[in-house]
Amino acid sequence: MFRYRLGSLIALLIGYGAHAQVVVDTLTLPEHEVTASRRSSFAAGTKVQVVDSATMLRYRSSNLGELLANESPVFVKSYGLGSLATTAFRGGSASHTAILWNGFNIGSPMNGQIDLSLIPVHAVGRVELQYGGASTLWGSGAVGGTIHLTNEPGFSRGTQVESGVSMGSFGDRREHVLARWSNARWSGTVGLFQAAAANDLHFRNTALIDAPWQRQRNASFQQAGLITDGHYRINAQQRISLRYWYQESDRQIPATLTEASSTARQVDRSHRISAEWQRLGKRTTAQVRTAYFDEALTWHAFAADAGSFSTASSSITEGELAFSISSAHTIDVGVHNTWSTARAQAYRTAHEQVRTAAFIAYRFNPNSRSRTTLSARQEQVSGTLIPFTWSLGSDYQLSNGVTAKANVAHVYRIPTLNDRYWSPGGNPDLLPENGYSGEVGIAFRSPKEEGRVTLTGEVTVFTRSIHDWIIWLPGPAYWSPQNVMQVWSRGIESHGSVQMRVRDAMVRLDGMTNYVLSTNEVAKSTNDASVGKQLIYVPRYSGNAGLSLVRRHFTSRIGAHYTGYRYTSTDHSEFLEPFVLVDASISCQVIRRSSFTIRAMAQAFNVFAEEYQAVRSRPMPGRSFQVGITVAFDRPFTPKTGPHEYRRPQRP
Amino acid sequence: MNAHRSIILLLLLGQLLFVGCRKDGPERPEDPIANTVSNGVFITNEGNFQWGNAKVSFYDIATATVVEDLYEPANGVGLGDVCQSMRLFNGKAYVVVNNSGKVVVVDQRTFVASATITGFVSPRHFLPVGNDKAYVSDLAANHISVVDLTTNTITGSIACPGWTEEMVLVNGSVFVTNESRSQLYVIDAMTDAMVDSIPVSRGGNSIVEDVEGKLWLACSGGGGTLPALYRIDAETRTVEHMFTFPNGSDNPWRLDINSDRDTLYFLNGDVFRMSVAAIALPTAAFVPADGRNFYGVGVEPTTGILYVSDAIDYVQRGSIARYAPNGSLLNTFLAGTVPGEFVFP
Repeated sequence: MFRYRLGSLIALLIGYGAHAQVVVDTLTLPEHEVTASRRSSFAAGTKVQVVDSATMLRYRSSNLGELLANESPVFVKSYGLGSLATTAFRGGSASHTAILWNGFNIGSPMNGQIDLSLIPVHAVGRVELQYGGASTLWGSGAVGGTIHLTNEPGFSRGTQVESGVSMGSFGDRREHVLARWSNARWSGTVGLFQAAAANDLHFRNTALIDAPWQRQRNASFQQAGLITDGHYRINAQQRISLRYWYQESDRQIPATLTEASSTARQVDRSHRISAEWQRLGKRTTAQVRTAYFDEALTWHAFAADAGSFSTASSSITEGELAFSISSAHTIDVGVHNTWSTARAQAYRTAHEQVRTAAFIAYRFNPNSRSRTTLSARQEQVSGTLIPFTWSLGSDYQLSNGVTAKANVAHVYRIPTLNDRYWSPGGNPDLLPENGYSGEVGIAFRSPKEEGRVTLTGEVTVFTRSIHDWIIWLPGPAYWSPQNVMQVWSRGIESHGSVQMRVRDAMVRLDGMTNYVLSTNEVAKSTNDASVGKQLIYVPRYSGNAGLSLVRRHFTSRIGAHYTGYRYTSTDHSEFLEPFVLVDASISCQVIRRSSFTIRAMAQAFNVFAEEYQAVRSRPMPGRSFQVGITVAFDRPFTPKTGPHEYRRPQRP
Repeated sequence: MNAHRSIILLLLLGQLLFVGCRKDGPERPEDPIANTVSNGVFITNEGNFQWGNAKVSFYDIATATVVEDLYEPANGVGLGDVCQSMRLFNGKAYVVVNNSGKVVVVDQRTFVASATITGFVSPRHFLPVGNDKAYVSDLAANHISVVDLTTNTITGSIACPGWTEEMVLVNGSVFVTNESRSQLYVIDAMTDAMVDSIPVSRGGNSIVEDVEGKLWLACSGGGGTLPALYRIDAETRTVEHMFTFPNGSDNPWRLDINSDRDTLYFLNGDVFRMSVAAIALPTAAFVPADGRNFYGVGVEPTTGILYVSDAIDYVQRGSIARYAPNGSLLNTFLAGTVPGEFVFP
């Protein structure tokens, strides 16, 4: 019960990202208990990382790619400032990370990926990383890990208006305004944002003789969007929610180090709308949710050309019912349907895919110390059954504060529309990728007591083997995707933190290390020398460390992030050098009244001006700065007719 | 609490251990010293589009040693992005670096760059048409660039719609293959003007001249035209024979000829060999691919030994196999990423 309350309190606080109170509490990692979600209820034994509110605040003017690159073990393959950024989670490919927005997979049906540089951090209330395979819960693509982006509603909180502006190096400027209003029954948010940058960064071109300094050209971008949601409590148990997120982005694609010039340009536009009904009863929880996504991309290889245009739409509907048989046994059953269609010049005609799945999950918690979940999913893709998948996981509290975790899962990823229908080469006969993932871990958290040192730590060992891994291979006349690779990924992850009070300040030291081996196990062709070798663009080692200090209204942090060697050829003949990035930030509440707060922040990125490449031949920014100011207005909710509070019952 | 303390200590120690236990780092082999004076072959390695890992390798025939990259050790920086082709002329090598939009002029022996010709859009092939003049074909420019070899600058252009590819000079006329149009263009090398065009299949990619002075052209087809090999009379500029491939998926390319100019080699998945006197396409492969991704062919001038490159998955060092004229495998070695052309001094 305590955990639940604390969890919802923190969810509440996080929901108000830049709200004045947050900073005081920033250094406590939130408990992992949120409202009705399969993640928190039916994913026992998995490692979960919630990006804490202080970090969310620090990255408020950044995109999700930048946040994950520095604050998580996910390797972000970034093509440069503001450019395409995709993930490699526990040694998987970009399409092996499922990215869920309020429970809906927002990966493109065309390539199964999403460009993280197009997701502004301030548009998301909460970022949660679920490590390892979770295909039974989230379907195709939840192989290496799942990233949950959620915007939780808050009720009875009155009116908050927040407006922020920031300016940074390379002509970067961002503005956002966010208004929230809620009473006991209604809750609504409207957010508007825009960002633009020239990105004319100065870099040393190491590919040219004498490595001359050059200014990056054709790199500007602009982005604008609207994010809004509305929630209504029908009664103490039922709620309906509507959400809409519109975004457009227009960016130039700069030349690589070895290209003479570039005039390429990419325009993205997306609409995402969702509706949800949920009933949280004492013994049963019912949810129905539906979403429609529409995205369009225009690529101009040269500024003057007409551009190649592609569009994709998805409609996702899910129904779910969880019920407690007794206090120790809970069952969750659900059905899922995704209809997607896409049109591209290379498809010849529009193609569609219908996926229907049924899933069931069972949770057994005989006492407060242990929790075991078993789940299964059967999916059908355009009329064909794909392998039945299952998952089993368990958490066990060994002693006060020490929890052991273990899980094993059958995971899969279905071929994307590009894999199946790209012309030429698309292969409609592709099988889904499938395999097994497993992990064991131990987590420690010392009890929170005033005036004491608080310690946390977690070590996880994982392994995953994927068969029928899809790779595009050259054929006699064109490339075609085939189910040939077999990839074994395994590794050890650890993270820990020490937090203590030093006089009137709170000091926190945290660190994270990751070791990932992800190797191809079979020869793709006769002379293939990649067998037993690490996949390209998967660092074997990475880690970070940070020191935070909070004193009254003043917060500062310095963080360092290390990325080890990445091979860029499958036989390991070519590679990129390791790099260390050090960032520093300070923020301060300049004015703090009960209803009015002004917060100022300043950040420095890559303080030591490390010259590095995340993707071969793409220059990355050297030292850069950002300053910003946020003005927040808060008028709390005062109930008119006595204490009439809707309390959300605890989940079954 | 003691148990907790030791667990924490273990965790922290564990973190340190994982960082320190294994040396992370690739092997960095030392290349042998290049001996480009000796009898050998230059191999152009395209590398990967936008990765800037193009290389020119050298294989020393007598010692069977390979230098994977001649350019970087000689010049201190990499060659650039996508090495499409190379031509030896007057003691210099003209290296066409496609996606860097340049032709690098290097000394044939030292590989030290003396000039860089810039201003191309997407250069493909370099053809000297006089002692101080050359043509450069282009994927996207819709013209052939005229280059002055004394100043190493572009001095003019010849409008040639489409993606122009390989070129050959016969008696003052330059025949220009075209990947995206169903034409073989003819340019007068004196006047730098297009004088004729010969209708052929689309996808014209490679062209050679045989011992009889006939032109052989490989077209991969497409756009309603068939994959075909053409024999063309260079004087009358007429098609003498069209050897049509049976399937639309056939893709004849990398047409090459031996030094006696009487035997053709080309790729169509496998390597095929064909006499210039043949009246039909060969039915059996000379070297079957057997799971290899053949990407280039070359014929050693004096011995007639065939070189075939396997680009494998395009993301690792390509493998080169040498075959005797009787078809038996002699040896194999590794070059750079995506080996495309063999250039014999």
